[in-house]
Amino acid sequence: MKHVTGDLEKTKDALKKLLPAEDILTFGFAAQRIGFVCVFADPITDKDLLGEQVIRALLSYDGPPSAAEIAKRLTSPETKIEPALENLAAEVLAGNPVLLFEGMDAGIVVGTKKVFTRAIAEPSTDVAVKGPREGFIEDVKTNTSLVRRRFKTGELRIETVEIGRRSKTNVAICWLEGTTPAATVEEVKKKLSEIDIDIIPDSSYLTHFLSTRPYSLVKQVGTTEKPDIFAAKIAEGRLGLLVDGSPIALTLPYMLIEDFQSSEDYFVPPYRASFTRILRLLALVVAIYLPAFYVSAQLYKLQLFPVKLLLTIAGSIRDIPFSPSLEMLLVLFVLEVLNEASIRMPKYVGMALSVVGALVLGETAVSAGFVSTPAIIIIAFSGIGLYAVPNLIEQTSVLRLAMLLIAGSIGPYGVILATAFLLVYLVTTVNFGVPLVAPFAPFARRELKDSLVKFNLGSLKIRPNVLKSPNKRRLK
Amino acid sequence: MKISTRQVLFFLACVAPVGKLILLPARLAEAAGNDLLFPFAMHYLLQAGAVFCALLLAKRGMNFSELLANTFGKIAAKVFMNIYALFLFFAALLPLLEQKLLVQSVFYDTLPSLVSFSPFFLFAAFIASKPLASSGQVCDLLAPIAIAGLAGIFILSAGSADLAALSPAFASGAKGILTAFRNGFGWFYDAAFILPFLGTFDYKKHLALKGTLCYLAGGAAVILFAGIFYGIFQETATNQLFAFTATSKFFSGISTLGRIDYLFIFLLSLVMAFYCALPLQAGVECLLQAYGRRRYLPTIFSVAVCAALLVVSQCTDYRFTEVLGAVGKQLFWIFPLFSVLVPALMLLLRRKRREIP
Amino acid sequence: MKFRKFLHTLPMKIYLILAAIVVFAFFSNDFGLVDIQKTAIILAAGIDKTENGFSVTAQIAVPKGSDRTTGGTSSVEIEAEGETVSDCISLIFAKTGWVPKLVFCDLIVIGEAAAKGEDIISHLNYFLRNDYMPDSCLLAVCEGKAGELISSASAIDDASSLAIEKLFSDAAQKSGMVAVSTLKDFAIGYYGVSESGFLPYIRMTEQQGGQSAGGDSESGGGSGANGGEESQKVYSAEETALFKKGKMVALLSREETFAFSLLRGKVFSGTLNATDGEKAVTLTVVRNKGGVALKMNNAPTAELSLSLTLRLCCRGVSASISDIASDSVSPEILGNVKQLLTEHVEKLWTTAKDAGCDLFMLQRTLYRRSLKEYAKWKDALLPAVRPLPKIELKSMK
Repeated sequence: MKHVTGDLEKTKDALKKLLPAEDILTFGFAAQRIGFVCVFADPITDKDLLGEQVIRALLSYDGPPSAAEIAKRLTSPETKIEPALENLAAEVLAGNPVLLFEGMDAGIVVGTKKVFTRAIAEPSTDVAVKGPREGFIEDVKTNTSLVRRRFKTGELRIETVEIGRRSKTNVAICWLEGTTPAATVEEVKKKLSEIDIDIIPDSSYLTHFLSTRPYSLVKQVGTTEKPDIFAAKIAEGRLGLLVDGSPIALTLPYMLIEDFQSSEDYFVPPYRASFTRILRLLALVVAIYLPAFYVSAQLYKLQLFPVKLLLTIAGSIRDIPFSPSLEMLLVLFVLEVLNEASIRMPKYVGMALSVVGALVLGETAVSAGFVSTPAIIIIAFSGIGLYAVPNLIEQTSVLRLAMLLIAGSIGPYGVILATAFLLVYLVTTVNFGVPLVAPFAPFARRELKDSLVKFNLGSLKIRPNVLKSPNKRRLK
Repeated sequence: MKISTRQVLFFLACVAPVGKLILLPARLAEAAGNDLLFPFAMHYLLQAGAVFCALLLAKRGMNFSELLANTFGKIAAKVFMNIYALFLFFAALLPLLEQKLLVQSVFYDTLPSLVSFSPFFLFAAFIASKPLASSGQVCDLLAPIAIAGLAGIFILSAGSADLAALSPAFASGAKGILTAFRNGFGWFYDAAFILPFLGTFDYKKHLALKGTLCYLAGGAAVILFAGIFYGIFQETATNQLFAFTATSKFFSGISTLGRIDYLFIFLLSLVMAFYCALPLQAGVECLLQAYGRRRYLPTIFSVAVCAALLVVSQCTDYRFTEVLGAVGKQLFWIFPLFSVLVPALMLLLRRKRREIP
Repeated sequence: MKFRKFLHTLPMKIYLILAAIVVFAFFSNDFGLVDIQKTAIILAAGIDKTENGFSVTAQIAVPKGSDRTTGGTSSVEIEAEGETVSDCISLIFAKTGWVPKLVFCDLIVIGEAAAKGEDIISHLNYFLRNDYMPDSCLLAVCEGKAGELISSASAIDDASSLAIEKLFSDAAQKSGMVAVSTLKDFAIGYYGVSESGFLPYIRMTEQQGGQSAGGDSESGGGSGANGGEESQKVYSAEETALFKKGKMVALLSREETFAFSLLRGKVFSGTLNATDGEKAVTLTVVRNKGGVALKMNNAPTAELSLSLTLRLCCRGVSASISDIASDSVSPEILGNVKQLLTEHVEKLWTTAKDAGCDLFMLQRTLYRRSLKEYAKWKDALLPAVRPLPKIELKSMK
């Protein structure tokens, strides 16, 4: 690793060689006796602050050319003396200007990074009617501050690591010392240190490296955009990861039941919370299985319909040119396209899309005899059901399609067997020593108190055993 | 990974009974008529004893083949493990065939082709290639599913049953009861499942007693169901091949809501799929204990066994009655031999671990 | 090394192959399955005896299409003759090209001649053997030919079977006007020790002042179909056919059927007519307990016990509002009702006994109670039993 030499020009050239990009600028100025060069990344450096805290402070400097002395004169609270050229280059790329001067064998890094942030707002994917509304943003520092605000204790540890050969993305590992198992912290740190990738644009990149089964259909890392949920999970004994540039925080270990819990459940009476959790599960089951069973019933087992309904359905599909399975697939395809388009489409076109989706595709397709009304109702209901658990949409929509394909090709028994496969798959997925479907398998009676049924806060005295927290008691 | 004792108990109380709800009630009613509860009870008592013995063996902290090798040596143990695996594959045949019939008759209005049931073999191969602990974990989920399914069927069926039809006791005489008892052996070998699982769970406080009681509790549910079944169909019970799918359709709400009972039938069928795959997994485990647990061996064994059973199930497609007759009349003794006698005799094996050359 | 790599990637390859098979099967969708569009949903079947075998008339539901604006069920009736019932069903398939599905068949009607001629299990065994046939299906006998009944145009509903099924509803059973039996109930009686059973007996009459049938009920292409317009029919099932060893042996009148329903304890809102002096009164059965107890003390006796709570619901004379408000069933009316019911019960007993039908399942009762006693009495029981009606009436209000 090359180091800074006493020759200012040589050092400047060496640094420029490492940072040949056009937006890396150098600025030279002289104090009373010493010549300075400041190297900085133009777009991400706060030049006002640089002028105020560095240049103005040094213009009148007439002391010795000592890094320690010069650093003392700077009015910036964040300064660091760094001799290695590569590290200095990295700091420049991070937005921190580097100050070089004649006769000095180290550069001074000044923390005048320009941070572009948006305001803290309520996340659109995790809305709560009752409860805190703030959400994470893309700046990791702001995000850590949101977490820190909730833990006024030294036990909250936030350790930042850099991941990504080129992006050098800051990842903040947050945990509660004495509550999060040390083994989990170590394992996460180890896994993170093993990541050798060029850039980490978003936290979702990390999930791949943190999962036991990277190709798994099911989620293995928890996600949230809300600091209150993040803090609650850490308080339960989990570990959290905040990734610079991503508003989505990761929590580990993950249990499937987490996505059936909403922050609001803790702010409403427990019976209401239990009701909505069960409702979410039922909605999800219906969303996955309803199209499959509708197709199975039509193709293989008419008895699943009451006779009157059967005759209505038979009447509706009489002139449809497709088989029941193909018809359902077609409607599902349209729904997925509409869904995808409506998410990414500019808002001003949204209304037009609704009209096209609902009227043109829905009403007209039925009138034209392309698809039947029951098929549209089934898919619409399934579509709504899927959004009852928004964090699992990616997984459940794939499952719904898989179940539909199986129902259309093998029939109801195929769906049952696919469910059996899924059960085995779920119960055998373990991440960081925690089974995915805990507390149901392995069954833990005590921990059911905050699962599908939510008990009163007063009865949730112990942290989930399955998380193996050394600090078991939550409520005294 | 170990299986917890709770999972063993869940299996005995909730999963094992489900395998007795398809053809068995009609089969026992055929010979015993309204006395069908007696052969059921006799089988359950016999198996409960065997389950007790099998669970007691867990106290020794050795697996099945280690227990055998500890007394008879490695070669004898290996031979016996092969024989036991063969028994388990043979025992798997009957539930598998009845499941196939059930699927073809109950899940499909018109007789479908090979496509409908063959995926089961894929599933069975998948399960059989997994470590035993995975089955233990699944039992945690299967237990509430089985309970919900059974409770649903009970609730929908109970109102239609005339339990007086179960009297008079001993109407079919000792001969009828004993014939039914003999015919039912093919369905009772639950203790045989436990032996390959030895070593994967620890013996905790009174496990043998708790396990036996759980098994008997499951048996009580089956006997109650059999009573309801006979109470509903009485003299025509013999004709009702798929018992658990037949009893609930007389519920008055069915005419307006449609066949809501299918929800419970599906739940129980899900549990049955596991129950049918379990002897295959246990058999593969026996082979693994005999030949060692090399990396791809579980997959190779399970795929081979399931492929063989797929062929057998296709060959016996229209010969189920003959298979039933052969199992009930000629080969019935195999089941108590391996599932009752073996666990009981194994209690006599050397208790202390010795160095095996 | 290569083999190891192959084994390592094998699961993924297997998953891909399986997915390909599933997708192929999904899109080809043609491996012998019979979906909803290729199916004849049989709502009801009428069975008659012919010289060479059987004649089955199936009422098949016809979907109305997506543009339908009115509710209801259209149907078409197809008749086929064959040597067995199964043969007839196959012929229906041949005639229509639709695969007949019995899973929704809720009514089987047997023609009177067929019911009297021979053991009707020969007609029904196809349904008992068929795994797809619900044994909760209603069973009935009809006057004349079952095919004609099924093919008739109902004044009540789009399909005759739906109109007939209304006669067998829970509400109708509670009125005591009809004694309903299902395929399962009949089979249990037939195969039980009593070898007896009963089925409702349906009569078809022309609707007075009714319009000609057109509507949704299409006339089928079978030989039993009546082309063109046809008068609308109404149905009644207040009589009950008694069976012994599968043969129809007697017919219970309306009153006897009502008495039978009362003895079964199934009546909760039925009405019965009596007299108060010269004038007619109608009473509602508010509560009904009934039962037949077999006693084997000295000689076998059947205690036919009836306990009714009655309420006066109509008098054939005008009355003041205070009379209406305070009117109750007088002891005199109760006496008349008791006498009337005793007559009906005795008549019911005699009809069943004379026909040899063990309507009250006394043999079964004895069998269940004591095998020894049963062995002793067996076939001699029915002629030997003496009826002992015990009727207890209470007035409400």
